[in-house]
Amino acid sequence: MSSDFSNDPFARLTQEDTRVATAASPPMDLQYRGEQGPLFWLALKTAILTLITLGFYRFWAKTRIRKYFWSATAPGGDPMEYTGNGLEKLLGFLIAVAFLAIYLGLFQVILSFVGLSIFSGGEGPEAQAMQILFSQATLLAVIPFIFYAQYRARRYILSRTRWRGVRFGVDAAAWGYVWRAIGHSILTIVTLGLLLPRQTFWLEKYRIDRTWYGNTKFVQGGKWTSLYPAMKHYFIAAGLILVPGALVLMSEQYVVLIFVFVGVAWFYYAFAYYAVVSFQILGDQKKLGEKVGFVTAPRAAKVFWTYVLGALLASTCAGLVFSAFSIVASNFMGLTTLDLLSQGEQLFDPENISVGFYIGIGIFVLGYLAMLLSYGVFGMIFVSQPVLEHYVQETQILNPEALDDIQQRSRDEMVEAEGFADALDVGAAI
Amino acid sequence: MDMNAPAEGKYFDGKSARQLPVTVTLETRHNTSVLVIQSDNTSEEIWPLAELREVREQARAEGIVLSLGQDGIARLILLEANAAQIVRDNAPNLGKVVVKKSKWRQLVVWSTGAVASVVVIMFVILPALSNQLATMIPIEREVALGDVSMNQIHRFLGGSDENDLACENPEGLLALQKMTKRMVGTTEIPYDLKVQVFDHEMINAFAVPGGQVVLFEGLLDAARSPEEVAGVLGHEIGHVVNRDPMRLTLRSAGSVGILGMVFGDFAGGFMALALTEKLISAQYAQGAESGADEFAHQLMADANLPSASFAMFFRTLKEEHGGQTGLMSHLASHPNLDGRAAAAVAADVIGEQAYEPVLTPQEWRALRNICK
Repeated sequence: MSSDFSNDPFARLTQEDTRVATAASPPMDLQYRGEQGPLFWLALKTAILTLITLGFYRFWAKTRIRKYFWSATAPGGDPMEYTGNGLEKLLGFLIAVAFLAIYLGLFQVILSFVGLSIFSGGEGPEAQAMQILFSQATLLAVIPFIFYAQYRARRYILSRTRWRGVRFGVDAAAWGYVWRAIGHSILTIVTLGLLLPRQTFWLEKYRIDRTWYGNTKFVQGGKWTSLYPAMKHYFIAAGLILVPGALVLMSEQYVVLIFVFVGVAWFYYAFAYYAVVSFQILGDQKKLGEKVGFVTAPRAAKVFWTYVLGALLASTCAGLVFSAFSIVASNFMGLTTLDLLSQGEQLFDPENISVGFYIGIGIFVLGYLAMLLSYGVFGMIFVSQPVLEHYVQETQILNPEALDDIQQRSRDEMVEAEGFADALDVGAAI
Repeated sequence: MDMNAPAEGKYFDGKSARQLPVTVTLETRHNTSVLVIQSDNTSEEIWPLAELREVREQARAEGIVLSLGQDGIARLILLEANAAQIVRDNAPNLGKVVVKKSKWRQLVVWSTGAVASVVVIMFVILPALSNQLATMIPIEREVALGDVSMNQIHRFLGGSDENDLACENPEGLLALQKMTKRMVGTTEIPYDLKVQVFDHEMINAFAVPGGQVVLFEGLLDAARSPEEVAGVLGHEIGHVVNRDPMRLTLRSAGSVGILGMVFGDFAGGFMALALTEKLISAQYAQGAESGADEFAHQLMADANLPSASFAMFFRTLKEEHGGQTGLMSHLASHPNLDGRAAAAVAADVIGEQAYEPVLTPQEWRALRNICK
């Protein structure tokens, strides 16, 4: 059956495979142990606490969810552990707010001042383009902070991650990441996305080459051009849009425009495909120290459909929750409204609005909040967990006996935690 | 796990990533209950029961993950349900969490820092900065901006190129001009003041940046004397001179960014953000309204007109609309009508004396018929 392996890029490696021929021990599988029930109750409980504390519990909520996901991920049967805590996350957030409030406040005011000062007053396309440019300028100004916050958030999360009692760690090198990320982004935009693999590879290499497990460093091998196969569906989507578009211009056959719509939809799949396949290609080229390697085989179609169907299911469930609240609410409101109509009185005269009306409004608002909240909770069990589970189960560790030699590293205190990412709302999804 | 049957477990010493299979027994040493952790190739570890802490939120329901003390790095995983149960029954402090005093101190310091930073920026720096910046925007830009928002408002009220809402009865326009001239007097105004009446039933008036003021016909109908209208006109001129629209735009641009950061994106976060922003901008706007009122009082005093008649207008308004008091008056951008009326009466310099009316009865009639 060896021909299967050469044809199918997603085939899993076995002991017989040549790539692990040098390995003395069999590859280590990653187990995933999370279940829907316990995660659902944990997510619901923490979401409700977040709501009634006006958002302040969110630091603890995220921490508890992470603890669950980490402990569900068990390479070789030994669970990962997340050792962060909500208090330090809150502290980091407060530190970030103390600095960012000044920066963001001044920044926004000065930017809108500049915007108003050069405002031309015309309503022509030129003037509107300027307006749009300026509304985007605010975003541009925050981008360096976003990259900074993302690198720091990753550093914090990994510094609070342990496996077999040994800590992960990331070097403090956020500013180096910021300017590289900005440079690569500009290059990617200028080349209309053609150099996206270059960006993905070099930024991943920057991050991975500064990541440690215990006293041992990770290394990202490979070269950026090997990521082009992951771009396949981007090219197909672009082709689906450009070729019919050119045909329309030449022959004015508007029927072919239907391909353009297909092409736009195709972009969504291309996005998932690139994320999954580039993860797989880069994953196979990662090493921990000299010996430990990885094999990853996530499937793009599986991840894509988990997202689409999971999101659909989650929004249906959230919609049902809202409908339930609405029915109760309109019962309260409906009765009083009919009552008033039958007496021919003015509906919105404050004296005629009864207690029932207010209760109804209150239940409506509650229903709206419950809908937002349950969308998050259902999203957790229908999207986040299945996707994580798939990635985890499709990963293997090569040469795992070399892990035994890895020694502990010292604690990275990081008082600011991931406060900047929390304040700018650019933290990790989980 | 008891004396007779040691429990199976995995031990991670926190020094290396090596997994040690161990057997664990519950024993009493030196009058203390302890777990004795024994592996093949190392000496035994002794963990007192009172020091055990459980690592929680574990996805695997069976078994238990233990550490020695809250900050212990080593981990002991007991895989069997009954061993976990015995530990849970006997270890007294599995869930005990002690937050260090220094952590609390840090928390207090930084909470104070964060709150102070937000308060200072939102209530001191942003207002001062936007007041300053508002005066630095070139006048021609302000005029251009005013033209755009005037067009938008005009369209919003149902006007169009064919259906211009501005009223153009020549005698009425003359009366309006006379009133404007009397109110401005010798006060220096850095704009070309352009006052119009819109054919609309709303009892209201507004000003846009760059010196344009609009009164609604509904306001002329509701007013009982030309001096009441003059008061309102003075108020709107006040907004123009104080550059209120510019100041408020700049301020809210700053505060929205900060509030968004503080509340985050939890369910309902958007509502909390919107409500807070509304309260704060109403706070700002109330200041602007009082400022414009004071400006109107001054104009009326300079023009030898009784600002008490401005107060009359507030009473009329209250009869028409019902005044807002309490919470609603904080949410609305205008301060409560009684307070404003009282302020207008207090600022009156004419009292019982005779004064030259702002318009003759004929002119007043012409003004009220400006849209006919």
